[in-house]
Amino acid sequence: MDTVSWVWPQPCNHVGMSLDRVGLELGSFLSYLTHRQEVIASNIANADTPGYRTLDVAPHSAFSSVFQQASVRADEAPGLTTRNDGNNVSMDREARLLSENTLKFNLATQMLRGELRNIRSAIDEGRAS
Amino acid sequence: MSLFGAISISASGMDAQRIRAELITENLANADTTRTPQGGPYRRKDAVFGSAPVGSSFAQTLSELAAGPASGVSVSRITVDESDPERRYLPGHPDADAQGYVAFPKISPAEEMVDLMSASRGYQANVAAISSVKDMIARSIDLFR
Repeated sequence: MDTVSWVWPQPCNHVGMSLDRVGLELGSFLSYLTHRQEVIASNIANADTPGYRTLDVAPHSAFSSVFQQASVRADEAPGLTTRNDGNNVSMDREARLLSENTLKFNLATQMLRGELRNIRSAIDEGRAS
Repeated sequence: MSLFGAISISASGMDAQRIRAELITENLANADTTRTPQGGPYRRKDAVFGSAPVGSSFAQTLSELAAGPASGVSVSRITVDESDPERRYLPGHPDADAQGYVAFPKISPAEEMVDLMSASRGYQANVAAISSVKDMIARSIDLFR
């Protein structure tokens, strides 16, 4: 009787991951939006600070873990007109970004709720909860 | 890097704009003041804003270092207008000099009102930012339901 070395089948290791992958990606998207919200709040608070330059975070290129790195940095936003006091905050732009960011956050949390509902449905074996 | 950090930043903006509005109302109230404890007429004051990190806790400072230069605002100094006062010919005035001229503060009410509107709009923008962050936090809490 030969010995069989037991290796767990691949899918088994990944069930947990694949079940939650959408949730993880939405989570990193939410943290990107949180960081961006902070930068927008900073721009609005400094709208009258002489010499302040508008900051922005790099847009997320794809739902990948790579963009987690990119989102940490905040650089000067290009293409804005500078006023006489060296400040280039455009209130219209910040207002647009503020509402845009809130809408995206709402969308992502709605999707995350749906994802959690699906997992709960699986736990309940498909019975309506 | 948290939504509460964004609230702190907006709160620092509200604080700075409120101080600015207080100085503007002080200027308007003292537009005709000819006597001050320092002597001479009232001198116009204005707030100079500067970027400043918010919060002082270690965790907050650390997260700021990691998250980059998102910063709040604070009143870095209050400038006093040192230019010559406006001289009006009022010989009967108790503060009139030998030639009958009285030194009045150099304050333009129209200019102050425009500054006051700007401060009030800046305050409103910060309030809008806070209410949108509050909405985001409420949505996050809804995930637990």
